[in-house]
Amino acid sequence: MDSGSTRATDTDDSSPIVRAEGVTKRYTRGTTPGFFGRLLGRREPPTVTALEDVSLSIDAGEIVAISGPSGSGKSTLLHHLAGLEVPDTGTVTIRGQSTSSLSRKRRTRLRLEQVGIVFQHFHLVESLSARANVALPLVELGVPTSERKRRATDLLERVDLGDRLDHRPGELSGGEQQRVAIARALVTDPALVIADEPTGELDSETGQRVLETFQGLTADHAVVLASHDQSALAIGDRRIRLQDGAIVEGTDTAETHDQQTQAKVE
Amino acid sequence: MRRLLTRIWGGLTLSTAQLRHHRLRLGLAIVGVALAVLAVTLLAGAGIGVLETGTQQFESADRDLWVTAGETRITSAGGGGFENSLYDSRSVAAEMEAHDGVRNAAPLAFETVYVATSPDAEFRTIVATGVPGSGASVTITDGESLSGDPHYAGGTYDGERTNEILIDEETARQLDVGVGDTLYVGGSLASARNNEMTVVGISPTFEQLLGTPTITVPLSELHAVTGETVFEPATFITITLEDDADAEAVQRDLEASYPEYEIRTNQEQLEAVLQEQVLVLAAAGTLVVLAIGAGIALTLTLLSLVVAQQRKTLAALRAIGLSPLVTSVAVIWQGVTIGLLGGLLGLALTPPAVALLNRLGGAVVGFDDLVRTATWVSLAGLLIAVGIGTLAAAIAGWRVGRTPVLEDL
Repeated sequence: MDSGSTRATDTDDSSPIVRAEGVTKRYTRGTTPGFFGRLLGRREPPTVTALEDVSLSIDAGEIVAISGPSGSGKSTLLHHLAGLEVPDTGTVTIRGQSTSSLSRKRRTRLRLEQVGIVFQHFHLVESLSARANVALPLVELGVPTSERKRRATDLLERVDLGDRLDHRPGELSGGEQQRVAIARALVTDPALVIADEPTGELDSETGQRVLETFQGLTADHAVVLASHDQSALAIGDRRIRLQDGAIVEGTDTAETHDQQTQAKVE
Repeated sequence: MRRLLTRIWGGLTLSTAQLRHHRLRLGLAIVGVALAVLAVTLLAGAGIGVLETGTQQFESADRDLWVTAGETRITSAGGGGFENSLYDSRSVAAEMEAHDGVRNAAPLAFETVYVATSPDAEFRTIVATGVPGSGASVTITDGESLSGDPHYAGGTYDGERTNEILIDEETARQLDVGVGDTLYVGGSLASARNNEMTVVGISPTFEQLLGTPTITVPLSELHAVTGETVFEPATFITITLEDDADAEAVQRDLEASYPEYEIRTNQEQLEAVLQEQVLVLAAAGTLVVLAIGAGIALTLTLLSLVVAQQRKTLAALRAIGLSPLVTSVAVIWQGVTIGLLGGLLGLALTPPAVALLNRLGGAVVGFDDLVRTATWVSLAGLLIAVGIGTLAAAIAGWRVGRTPVLEDL
């Protein structure tokens, strides 16, 4: 699917879709004391390590499922892979572009063109119809109205919402809203799709249907999903388990990825 | 360029959809802004009205010059009356009347007196105005004017007393009296119980000038009942000039002849009275500033709240790649719309609110049209609504664009 507009970011099509190398992220709890704070004896606030030396590489057509207990760093890793955050140390590259080297504006543009995001809480615009919600990213790309409508309609039909085009999110069930969100994530034909607990708000039957839809539509995309739900994790080609910010199971370092790629070439 | 226009149009469409979807929120925001505009237009209108009413009252008094002895202040001791610091007012007025270009010079005295409908009734204090002659410049709405001031009798105070009195409508209502009824009036309770006067007419003139219920009596009889016949004090001497007289030249001549007195035109006299009311003016000015400040603060707060309620939606849009341009246009257009609609509603509500306030003002203090609107006040109100609305939304939109996406998600 063509985005309908010139892609503004300079991407490398030969590299993995997304690659994390030695990514470490620490958060500070509270604020650093100023001059008077230090005079009054305030100490440096404690830091929490959300990710510790995480390396990961994902190719097109691959679905990577990330599991782990709450607070293990799943969402933080997704945010880094989506370009919503940049690491303290290490690098994340999306289609060969390091997110740390880009300005905020360029990262936003990179997300628009290369990353589709499916949120746990859908985050649809309540005032817009399902079709307008799906078409919204195309507005940013400058796609003409008729083309936006056509593409949004096509995607909504593919997620079995062809009869719900003009319904607003409040008039749709949770499963229908998540399918609209999936359609929105795919409308720019991104290379990478990120899904954070995509079935977290749905009952098991609805969640299963959403997963089937998701799996069917993302066959040629790189997909990273994080979940506590075993049925969601089951759709992954590869499973990674995080614990205390580090990969403890299903390790896939950038080096091993390079070795695999080299082996494929040979 | 086409892409830019598409993005701007997308932002406008999103903005309009948000406004239409949250109608209650939109309605409340518009009402809030309208109230802010009303606060500005009504308080500023009250300030304008007070000044214009004062100017008109002085001009309608049909006097050209006002003579006072020093400051002209309202005293609490007199129950709200003016200070009578111009002594031997009859003689001074007679001298001034003999001056070239002066047609008439008449002293006016304001004194607080006791008034009741019978000697045994409860007396109340009220401002009495003493006018010489028949008080030709006094407007009569019912009954007749005073017949004259024969009691003065060339300064002997042994002429016949008319015992005539004019009252305003508010006093008539409060005392439940009308033309032909009797009132007991005096400078002390003892003198009031023995001084019977007859209401001969209803006059709003001095009530409107002073802004308080007022009775009007011949000057000599006022001085008699207040025990002031020796010094004949007055608040003003009012001067009417000959038709062909040069007001400024006469004013200069009189100032040279009477350096101990202040001689002012209508406008100067109004300004002098107002300058004496520094606290009142400061309070009025503070109210206007507070009204404008409150209007701005209310508009800013409302717009910030409207935007704050959409933070998650806007953050999600930025997360999926929409630029700050689209989200800012969406936010700013909401500010413009709410500001404009609120401003127009505020302006539409201003005339009925002014009419209501004027009705209340007329009933309470006797002034008509105390609150007056002006084009510049309306424009200022609209400007605050639209300008501050747009500015607040622009700041909020800018902040939304600067805040890290994950903080709001």
